[in-house]
Amino acid sequence: MADALLVRLKQLIVDTLKLDDLRPEQIPDDEPLIGSGLNLDSIDALELVVQLEKEFGIKVRSSEETRAILSSVAHLAAYVRAHAPADKLPPLP
Amino acid sequence: MTSSPDSQPLHLRATGCRTALGNARATCDGLLLGRRALQFLPVLGADGGDPVPLAPLPERGPAETAPPGWLPCLDALAAEIPDAPWGAARHPVFVTSSNFGVGSLYAFQRTRDSRHLATGMPFATVEFLRQRLGWGSNVAVLSHACVSAHVGLLVAGRVLHAGLAESALVFSFDFISPFVAGGFHALKILNGGMPAPFSDRATGSIGLGDGAAFAVLDRGRGGCRLAAQATYNEMHHFTANRPDGAGFAACLEPIQAAAGGRRLWIKGHGTGTLEAGRLEAVTLARLFPEAPLVSWKGSLGHTLGSCGLVELAITIEALASGRTPGTVAAAPPCFADTVATESFANGGYDGVILASNAFGGAHAACLLSHD
Repeated sequence: MADALLVRLKQLIVDTLKLDDLRPEQIPDDEPLIGSGLNLDSIDALELVVQLEKEFGIKVRSSEETRAILSSVAHLAAYVRAHAPADKLPPLP
Repeated sequence: MTSSPDSQPLHLRATGCRTALGNARATCDGLLLGRRALQFLPVLGADGGDPVPLAPLPERGPAETAPPGWLPCLDALAAEIPDAPWGAARHPVFVTSSNFGVGSLYAFQRTRDSRHLATGMPFATVEFLRQRLGWGSNVAVLSHACVSAHVGLLVAGRVLHAGLAESALVFSFDFISPFVAGGFHALKILNGGMPAPFSDRATGSIGLGDGAAFAVLDRGRGGCRLAAQATYNEMHHFTANRPDGAGFAACLEPIQAAAGGRRLWIKGHGTGTLEAGRLEAVTLARLFPEAPLVSWKGSLGHTLGSCGLVELAITIEALASGRTPGTVAAAPPCFADTVATESFANGGYDGVILASNAFGGAHAACLLSHD
């Protein structure tokens, strides 16, 4: 069964960045989101982090932390799991 | 996208500034002592928010007031400007800023108090200042983010070289506001860490500071001179620099050519962000391997569009005192061996490069020579 958090994060990426020609399931779990892979730039990253902060009640502290957590969807999911309040998270698979 | 060296020297008749540490003399003295003006303050001022490094003028409170709390600072700074019929046909004024009192607009949005509107928009703010400071109508408004002051110096120089003016006043100001601090905070580069310009560490941060300054230019001889000026715009990305640092080099190469065999020190931009700091330090070290590099934003914060003029005034004081303040708050390892973390005697040097950079790969630099 697919990890509900990964599914939700991929949908959030597509919706926030209006990636109309990409289906969420086409985003690999382990490919970089910035610079290669999805090839997001710093403005995309900012938009994404603002939305993540709203949706999951997390607080990203610096641009370097932004870059680290967006190194892949799997990294992002691990960060959200570690920092978001339990009531913001989907149940574990 | 072209470099624009302006290689005819311009005489700097007078300079002055105001920062969180005081006037140019007091600021230079404070930097020489390694004082850090930045302190952790709420990002949104009276509206609270996360603590971030800010260096406001000591006389300003956290709330945006009408008239703004920074006006007395500009009055005091203007009192230092040598007398001339400023704003008359042959004595133009170039006002440069990045934000032009946008904090007043923020205050208006919060309170609907229309008194804030006198200083909330660029042309309204400059007109307000023009009348307050008794300038004539020959006042131009220039803005290009954090290289605004350099653009003012460049344009003033061209007007003088064209014979259109006897002297020119470049006047610059930028003051911290919740609008601007909140914006940088949203970008995650104004965060919970103090800036350490050019230091190679895991997390970067900038600080923001209040700053205002002026320079009076003419075609006289002797004293301090702007021997060359250059600007370059990368047009690579609307916030980021080219990752190979080519934009930094493109701006600095004309300055390198103009510097000839001079023995130089460099006042860099150095805000405390990691990527731009690395590109700047590495490029400067490659082009000027013998020149010590300093930034003062680890103490004063980044004074945005005014930084070029504020730091020019401090440089003039450093030359007068015989010592150059080091890069306050920086610590090894640094991005280049040329970064000077301690103050040093500047008597053996015969030129200074002053460089500033801005969002979107905008670069500016000038060469200051002196007798």
